[in-house]
Amino acid sequence: MNTHATAAALPVASRRHRSGRALAPALFLAPAVALLGMFLVYPLLQSFRLSLLEWNGLGENSVFVGLANWAVLAKDALFWHALGNNLLLGLFSVLIQLPIAMALALLLDKAGRGSRTLKILYFLPLLFSSVALGVIFKNIYDPNFGPVNAALQALGLPALAQDWLGDRRYALAAVTAVICWQNVPFYMILFLAGLASFPSDLREAATLDGASDSTIFWRIRLPHLQGTVRTAAMLAVIGSLRYFDLIYVMTGGGPEGASELMATYMYRTVFSSFQLGYGSTVASVMFLVVSLIAALGMRLTRRFETEV
Amino acid sequence: VKFATLTAASLVISGCTYAVGASAQGTKTISEWDIQTQPASAKIIQDALTRFEKANPGYKAERAQIPNDAYKTKLKIAFGANEPPCVFTNWGGGSLREYVKAGQVVDLTSYLAKDTAFKERFIPTAFDATTIQGKVYGLPGENTAAAVIYYNTELFAKNGLTPPTTWPELLKVVEAFKAKGIAPFALANKAKWPGSMYFMYLVDRIGGPEVFRKAATRAPGGSFADPAFIEAGRKLQELVKAGAFAQGFNGLDYDVGASRRLMYADKAAMQLMGTWESSSMVNENPSFVKKVDFVPFPAVPGGKGQAGDIVGSVGNNFYSVSSACKAPEAAYKMIKTMVDDASVQARLDDKRMVPIKGLQVSDPTMRRVMKLVADAPTVQNWYDQELPPQLAELHKDTVQSLLGLSITPEEAAQKMEALAAQLLR
Repeated sequence: MNTHATAAALPVASRRHRSGRALAPALFLAPAVALLGMFLVYPLLQSFRLSLLEWNGLGENSVFVGLANWAVLAKDALFWHALGNNLLLGLFSVLIQLPIAMALALLLDKAGRGSRTLKILYFLPLLFSSVALGVIFKNIYDPNFGPVNAALQALGLPALAQDWLGDRRYALAAVTAVICWQNVPFYMILFLAGLASFPSDLREAATLDGASDSTIFWRIRLPHLQGTVRTAAMLAVIGSLRYFDLIYVMTGGGPEGASELMATYMYRTVFSSFQLGYGSTVASVMFLVVSLIAALGMRLTRRFETEV
Repeated sequence: VKFATLTAASLVISGCTYAVGASAQGTKTISEWDIQTQPASAKIIQDALTRFEKANPGYKAERAQIPNDAYKTKLKIAFGANEPPCVFTNWGGGSLREYVKAGQVVDLTSYLAKDTAFKERFIPTAFDATTIQGKVYGLPGENTAAAVIYYNTELFAKNGLTPPTTWPELLKVVEAFKAKGIAPFALANKAKWPGSMYFMYLVDRIGGPEVFRKAATRAPGGSFADPAFIEAGRKLQELVKAGAFAQGFNGLDYDVGASRRLMYADKAAMQLMGTWESSSMVNENPSFVKKVDFVPFPAVPGGKGQAGDIVGSVGNNFYSVSSACKAPEAAYKMIKTMVDDASVQARLDDKRMVPIKGLQVSDPTMRRVMKLVADAPTVQNWYDQELPPQLAELHKDTVQSLLGLSITPEEAAQKMEALAAQLLR
């Protein structure tokens, strides 16, 4: 009842002060709104507008074609293949990165202060530039000179020594492995921070009650980290849907489009094929897909929150 | 989206600073963009620009050197934003045609007509790549390159083999090296243009140079589904099935030297590549250069093309003037200075041959390249430079798929023809 009363009283109070008080918030908000408008809303609307054109991106000779680009995209097997690859990348990012990151975080947390050097060491992959990393791993995967195949051969497993980046069947998996390797530290830090906020008296109480380590993890610590895990999963999925750099450097989306992602496909249509209109269609759909999945994800997590 | 817009935004910002720079000075500024980032070749352009400034008081050259791939993106965005540099490097062919279609490049025909002595210096084919519907849009600037088969003389001698001059001989050489556990050809086809060289040569040897010209210009009877394209695809797949290419070829990256490394390690015996490869080898592995030589692509018996035809580029890079330039006359003088006698000689000293008549080449390898090009009945420009960008991209995709044995030559040809019919009206 109490809340209802304040809710009813509020509009009256604010109406009285509106004219004087509205200016200050508006002024404070203006820079943020202007920046968002200029660098987020405007480019978004602009890329949607461009998606309605057939245009090489040069001069004035653009042709308005309505939704023709969208119709072509709906039937573009290359694009759907790329979207499928993005979803696969998202799935495997979550399934591979998060458990490894969690395991590392738990071990580091357990080791406590003594693990500082390891923490820094594990964190290193995230600090590399993706381009440099891509070039290094291109050499590591090289079927003729790379250490991966050399090691497999030395171990007497020449059958496992594959053409990692040049074979349609393995290219995406090979790059995914590197992407995971690079991103695990990020989630590790996230989880580590979450674990640090775990109250130690809870653990003591549980231990006194005779709970084993695994029970403490599954029943107490993991539920405690639930929010962090969900955030991490969302970040991993959204990051995968927009992914570009290592794929671009290591395979360029190839061979034969086997590792093509939406972003690399968009880049190729705009900058190699000079199809700015169609490329913008790809970009717009990419934006819609990412927003849709992000919205779904947030909805799902909110439902979980209310249930728990 | 973000990637593209960010790049665009940063370019617009850098464009603004350019404009401010121009007005702040009292003199007129002529901007120039090129891709000569190596110290020696960069100096040649810098020297030419200095000469231009001395000969044309009141004008100042403002230069930007940009690495190759970044350049292509940056140039496109600059033109798209209508803020192009006055003078810009290009490759002629299809991508230049896009800028010309948009009315953004100065037609140099009238300038050259008043300047016949200067025009006559170049060999006749030098303007082919920049001639669009009878008008000339660029000057050939940097080099003359042909795709040839580099081979390891030691490996050939050791195995009692001679470099192939015909297709059947080539297949025998492939078989012989394969049996010895040596990859016959090094190929690094991630970027897809290196593999295209085999296809272009096969089309020429099988169907003659007219097949591509007719298909690309949509002349009567011209088609990318011509039997010559299909047969070329078949022969290419025949090579793949014979194990002609080193493992991983569709994923290896030419830009990090993956194919040359195979040659250097004696793991591959041959490589079909542009003659710029000679200078890369000299820089990377001088001792290897002693045991490498090159031969032209072999003849295909029964084919219509002549064995002397080459695939390559006369000019390699071209210099053009944008229509947005406020001083086109001065810009024309600038590009002339960039290919004047002093520049040509300096490039020659840097082992590059501007396509000038009677060029005095002393280096024996370079002399052979020059002779190859000068004697060639036709010089076929790279398909991926010659075709409109979208079709060029499909060409590279289909050839990579042919090499990956995932489509048939007929399917590849049909795909090309379908898009060509749609784009080239």
